[in-house]
Amino acid sequence: MRKTFAFTYILMVIAQMILSNYFHFTPLAMLTILPALVLCIPTKVDTFWAMVIAFATGLAVDLFAEGTLGINALSLVPVAFLRKTLIGTIFGVEPFEQKENLSIKKYGFARMSFAIIIVTALFLAIYILADCAGTRPLWFLGTKLGLSLLVSYFVSIILVNLLSYDDRR
Amino acid sequence: MPKERPVVSKIINLAIFILLEIASLLMLSNNSQLQKLWFARISHGFMAKTWGTTQAVSNYFSLKKQNDDLALDNERLREIVRGYELAAIKADSSMRPVLGNDGFRYIPATIIKSGTSSQHNYLILDKGSEDGVVENSGIISSKGVIGIVDAVSKHYSYAISFLNKELNISARLDTSGAVGPLAWDGISTNGAVLKEIPLQFKYSPGDTVYTSGYSAIFPPDIPLGIAGEAKVINGATNEISVKLFQDHSALKYVTIIENTRISEIAEIENREKEVKK
Repeated sequence: MRKTFAFTYILMVIAQMILSNYFHFTPLAMLTILPALVLCIPTKVDTFWAMVIAFATGLAVDLFAEGTLGINALSLVPVAFLRKTLIGTIFGVEPFEQKENLSIKKYGFARMSFAIIIVTALFLAIYILADCAGTRPLWFLGTKLGLSLLVSYFVSIILVNLLSYDDRR
Repeated sequence: MPKERPVVSKIINLAIFILLEIASLLMLSNNSQLQKLWFARISHGFMAKTWGTTQAVSNYFSLKKQNDDLALDNERLREIVRGYELAAIKADSSMRPVLGNDGFRYIPATIIKSGTSSQHNYLILDKGSEDGVVENSGIISSKGVIGIVDAVSKHYSYAISFLNKELNISARLDTSGAVGPLAWDGISTNGAVLKEIPLQFKYSPGDTVYTSGYSAIFPPDIPLGIAGEAKVINGATNEISVKLFQDHSALKYVTIIENTRISEIAEIENREKEVKK
């Protein structure tokens, strides 16, 4: 299972690089699946390693995609840091006790959606603030956050199903 | 929920989180001028706010010391002012009498003793015959008439205060020009009565009262006070209350006035008397 997850994870990171390079339809929206990826790291991986993975993932996307070096890492590490607390709050103790991965099938569409929205919003808030660096008005930041959250959520919820492929089998 | 983790693990996680975030921030600021400026602005703003708050708190707790310092400064300044005042008095003492072109000579003086509590008040001035003071000289201040020199010693003068029921000064009403004797009302230190003003002279409260210049002791047109209410005396004259400009209870520095032509005036008067005889 771990190998399957790791392989899928890497594929998703590559997909994110491609999206970051080619998904430029409007400056008011960006597409990211990285927060959902970090959220779906197996629960048996503790916070320390989750942060290291998130940092490495962020750096890799920064290096191979258009963007400023450090900005994805900066935004993704807090998601990894708060991941366990968030899972515990939304899904309870079950994922930790049974060492299960998060999936829509087990935990329901609503709870998964809620978790994805929270982590994506956290990531986007940091990313947009750091990216705009105080040069944009508040309405722009708000609009970009809202649109990006909408787009990223829809793509992420589909990809979460791919990451929980083994469980479905 | 995750199992209860030791506190050390939480601290390590927090430390790693901070470390990774700092590393990210450093990379971000080193690779983008925009972000570098943004971080600098945030950093400066934070520092300014922190130091500003710290300074405000520090200032609040140092208020007592600042008040004490200000009190010391005030005392030091008062000392300096007192020094200047003493120097001015000394300078006045050495001043030669000033002779005006109106026939009056002016001698600055300081009251060294005075009274206001009886009906026959007097003054003692620090100038005497050696300073050129003669009897029957007038005494004025910047706000009016103070009295008349009655006796002179070598270094001091004894004067009848205006606050003396026996002293009258010739005074004039500004609008009508009516002249009458002005005397202390015997009650307050800035109250007087202008007597014997004929009824035909128009009068209105608020008129200024001046010296008339008829007495040969005081020059004319020294402002004395403001006329108040009037009352008719014996159906023949008005008696007008006057509020003096000079409050005699707060008096220190005065000027002695000597009419240098008073002997000439007296000589004419005597000659006229002899002719009448």
